[in-house]
Amino acid sequence: MAETTVHHFAPWAGRYSQDIDWNLKPPASPNLAALVSTTARAYARQQAFTCVMPNGMYGNLSFEETDRLSDDFAVYLREVLGIGPGKRVAVQMPNSLVTPVVVFGILKAGCVLVNVNPLCDAGEMQRQFKDSGAEALVICDLFTDKLADILPDTPVRDVLVASVSSLFPPLVRHVIQGIMRWWNRVVPPVAFGATRLEHALADGRRIREGRNVEVRQYWAGIAHGDLALLQYSAGTTGVAKGAMLSHGNLLWNVEQIAAMGRAGIVDGKEVVLTALPLYHIFAFTTNLLAFFRVGARNILVPDPRPIRKLQRAFENYPITWISGVNTMYGALLHEEWFNVYPPRHLKAAIGGGAPMHPAIVRRWERLTNSRLLEGYGLTETSPLVCFQLVNGPPKTESIGIPAPRTEVRLLDEHGRPTAQGMPGELVVRGPQVMHGYWKLPHETAQVLRDGWLHTGDIAVMDEDFSFRIVDRKNDLITVSGLSVYPNEIEEVLSSHEKVMEAAVIGVPSAKTGEAVHAYVIKRDQSLDEAELERHCRRHLAVYKLPARFVFCDALPKSAVGKVLRRELRRQAMLERSRPAAAGAAPARNKPAKERA
Amino acid sequence: MLSEVETELLSVMMVVIMAGMGASLTFKDFAIALRRPQGMLVGLVCQYGIMPLLAFLLAETLGLSPGLSIGLILMGCMPGGTTSNMFTYFSRGVLPLSILMTLCSTLAAVVMVPATLELYSSDIGGHWHIPLTNAVQVVALLLVPTLLGMGLRKLNANAGALVELVGAVGGACVIVFLIASWVPRNWHLLLDTGADVYAASVGLGMLGFLLGYLLARALNQDRNTSRTIALETGIQNSPLAALIALLSFPGPEQQEVLLIPILYSLFIVLGATLATLWFRRLAEREEIARDNARFEMMADLA
Repeated sequence: MAETTVHHFAPWAGRYSQDIDWNLKPPASPNLAALVSTTARAYARQQAFTCVMPNGMYGNLSFEETDRLSDDFAVYLREVLGIGPGKRVAVQMPNSLVTPVVVFGILKAGCVLVNVNPLCDAGEMQRQFKDSGAEALVICDLFTDKLADILPDTPVRDVLVASVSSLFPPLVRHVIQGIMRWWNRVVPPVAFGATRLEHALADGRRIREGRNVEVRQYWAGIAHGDLALLQYSAGTTGVAKGAMLSHGNLLWNVEQIAAMGRAGIVDGKEVVLTALPLYHIFAFTTNLLAFFRVGARNILVPDPRPIRKLQRAFENYPITWISGVNTMYGALLHEEWFNVYPPRHLKAAIGGGAPMHPAIVRRWERLTNSRLLEGYGLTETSPLVCFQLVNGPPKTESIGIPAPRTEVRLLDEHGRPTAQGMPGELVVRGPQVMHGYWKLPHETAQVLRDGWLHTGDIAVMDEDFSFRIVDRKNDLITVSGLSVYPNEIEEVLSSHEKVMEAAVIGVPSAKTGEAVHAYVIKRDQSLDEAELERHCRRHLAVYKLPARFVFCDALPKSAVGKVLRRELRRQAMLERSRPAAAGAAPARNKPAKERA
Repeated sequence: MLSEVETELLSVMMVVIMAGMGASLTFKDFAIALRRPQGMLVGLVCQYGIMPLLAFLLAETLGLSPGLSIGLILMGCMPGGTTSNMFTYFSRGVLPLSILMTLCSTLAAVVMVPATLELYSSDIGGHWHIPLTNAVQVVALLLVPTLLGMGLRKLNANAGALVELVGAVGGACVIVFLIASWVPRNWHLLLDTGADVYAASVGLGMLGFLLGYLLARALNQDRNTSRTIALETGIQNSPLAALIALLSFPGPEQQEVLLIPILYSLFIVLGATLATLWFRRLAEREEIARDNARFEMMADLA
C-alpha cells in the first residue's frame, strides 16, 4: 500500500512512532491455542500469573505450568465430558489462577469460550447460558447458589466448581478456603451435581499421560475465521447480545495492542497489574492475551473493592503496567499509601471502559511520573480501536489515534463523512471487528454494514488526527431540532458544589420535540431548583436548559456502575403514561422530589 | 491475679500475637504512620493527661477509700497495654499507630508514671516502688516479635499471612482465656463489691475510650485514627499496675489496692471486645462508603 494512500484514508498513520507500522504483520499463530503454546515455550520457567489476595497471600503459575494445566483441562473437556469442537463452554470466575487455565484449556479443546460476569443475577445467567447453548460451565464456588434454581432449564450439562484460591500452594489454599467457608461464610453449599476443578484437572492429566493424548491435535485445524469467544454485552438496548469474536479477531487485536504499546514493552520483562475483571473484554484481550503474548507477568487481583485491597499487590511486585478505569485511578489517588509510595517501576497505565477525567489523568501522571494512556474500544471490536501514543504528547479528553490496520470514519446523520472538527458517529473497520451478534442477524445488520461497525458513539477528530468521544448517539437529545449532548449538561450540573451526581435524558415534548430532564443527587440538602437553574443559565445556552429538575437519592446504575440513562428514560415514560400522576406534568416551578 | 505459670503462658501468647500483628504489617505501613506523628502525640496526651486525671476525679467523685483510690489512680497512670494492639487489629483500626503509641507510652512511662503518681496520690500517701526494668521488658516483648513478624512477611508473604492468622487466632483465645479464667478466680469479688467500685472499675476504661475518642476528634484526627487512639487510651497495662501494687504495698492494704486493677482488667476486656465489634463494623462501612461516595462507583465497565 503506497504511503500516500495510507495517509489519505488513515491520516493519523503519520503520527505513529517508528515502533508502529500501519502495515502490521499478520499474527504468526493460526489460532489462540497456538499463541498460548508458543508463548509458553518461549518463557517456560518465568512466572506468567500471580494471584494476590488482599492480605498479600499469593499463588503463582509459570508459563509452563499454565500450558500444562490448560492442556489437562482441554483433555478433560474432550475426553471426559465429550464436548466437541465448536461447542460452547462458559466461565464465570473472578480473577484467579483458574481463569487462564480454563480459558486457555477451552480454546485448546477447540471449544468456544463464553465469558460470564460472576455478578450476573440468576435470570441473566440463564439467558446467557441458553442463548449461547453452553454445555459446560466453570463457576466460582462463591456464586453457585444462583445456579441451583436455573440449572435444569439451561443446556449446561456439566458444572465445574473452582475457588479463587484453587491452584494456590496447598496450605495457603486450605487456609483461604477454610476462612471463606467457616469464618466469612461466603461459600454456599452446592445444591446440584458438580465436579471440583482440581479433580477435573487431575483426571485430564491422568488421561493425557495414560493415553498419550496430543492436545495439539484438538486445535491443529482451527483458523482465523473460527469462532473463539462469545462476549455478552448489554449494549444500548439493554438486552445482552453475544458478540462473536473469532480467533483472528482476537489475535489481530493482540498484535494491535502490542504494537501500540511496543515503545513501552520489553518482551519477558513486564509486570502488569490486572485488577479489572478478566471476564470483561478490556482486561481479557489486553491483560490475559496481549500481555501474556509479550511474556509479561500478570498480577491478578480477585476483587479490587475497597481499593485498599490493591495495597499489597503494589507493595510486593514491581508493577510496570496497569490497566484500569477512571474510578479505579481516582480511588487510588485518594489512598495515602499510594500517594506516599507510588509505584516506582511503572511505565504507563491504560485507561478505558469510560471516559477518563482530565483532573485524574493529570494528578496520576504527576504522582507516578508516567503516562496514563486513554484508549477506546468496544466488545464488538475485541476491544481496541484507538489508543494514545506511548511517547506522544500528553493530551486529556482524547482517545488517541486508531491502531494499525484500523479504519475509522465519522459520519453525519445522512451517512456522509463529517468535516474535520465536526462531530459524527464513529464507524470502524478492521481485522478486530466482530463477525456479528450470535444468532441475531437483524441486530448484526443494524450495526455492521459493509464491514463497518457503527458504534453509536459520537466523536470528533482534532487537528492532530486524534479522536475525542463527545457522547452516545442514543443519548443525544434533540431540542427544537438542535442537538444537545447530555454529557455537557451533566458536567455543568456536577460542577455545582452542592451536587453529588447528575444524569440528563431527553423526554418527548409536544412543544420542542424533546425536552431535557435532569436527575440530581444533592450533596448539600439546601440546594433547590431555583439555585440550580441560575447555575445552568450562567453556563448553558437557553435551549440546553433542563426543563425539569428531579431530585433523587440514587440513580439507576448497571451492575458495574454506569448510570443507565435508558432506565431513566423508561421511568420517565412510565410516569408520563400514568394519567394525572403527581409528577406527570412538568413541574417547572415546583421542586419535585422523587426516588429514581 | 494470674498464677506464675499463667503469666508465663500469657507472655508467650503475647509474643505469638505480636509476631502475628507484625506479620500483618510492612515497614512502609510504619513509615506512613510516622509521617503523621500528631496521632502519637494525641495518644500520649490521652495516656498521661486524661487517664490519670480521670482516675483522680472518679476517686474524688465516688468518695472512694484511700486504698481503693490508690488502686484506681495507679491504674489511670499506667502506659497503654499490649492487648490494645490486638483489639485495634480486630477492629480494623490503624495498627501501626497503635503499636507506636504503646511503644511511646511505655518508654515515657519511665518518667511519666512516677510523675503522675506523685502528682495525683501525694495527698493520699503511699510510697511507690516502680520497677523500671519492666518498661524495658515490655518494649522488648512488643518490639522483637513485631519486627520478626514483619521480616517474615517481607521474606515470604504467604508465611507472613499464616503467622498473622496464628496470631489472630491466638489473640481471640487470649481474650476468651482472660475472661474465662477471671470469673472462677475472682467471682466472689463480683458479689461483694459495692456500686462505687464497679463504677470506678468500669468507668475508667469506658470513659477513657470516650474521652480519648473525643479529644482525638477535636484535634482533627480522622474517625479511624480516633477509634485507634480511643482503644489505646482506655486499655491500660493492668499487669504492670498489679506488679507495682504488689511491690509497693506488701502489707495488709495490698488486697484493697489490688481490687480495682483486678476488676478493671475484667471489664476492660469485655468493654474492648464490644467496642471492637462495633468499631469493626463502622470501619468496614466507612471504607465502602468512602469508595462509593468519592468515586461514584468502582467500575466504569458496563
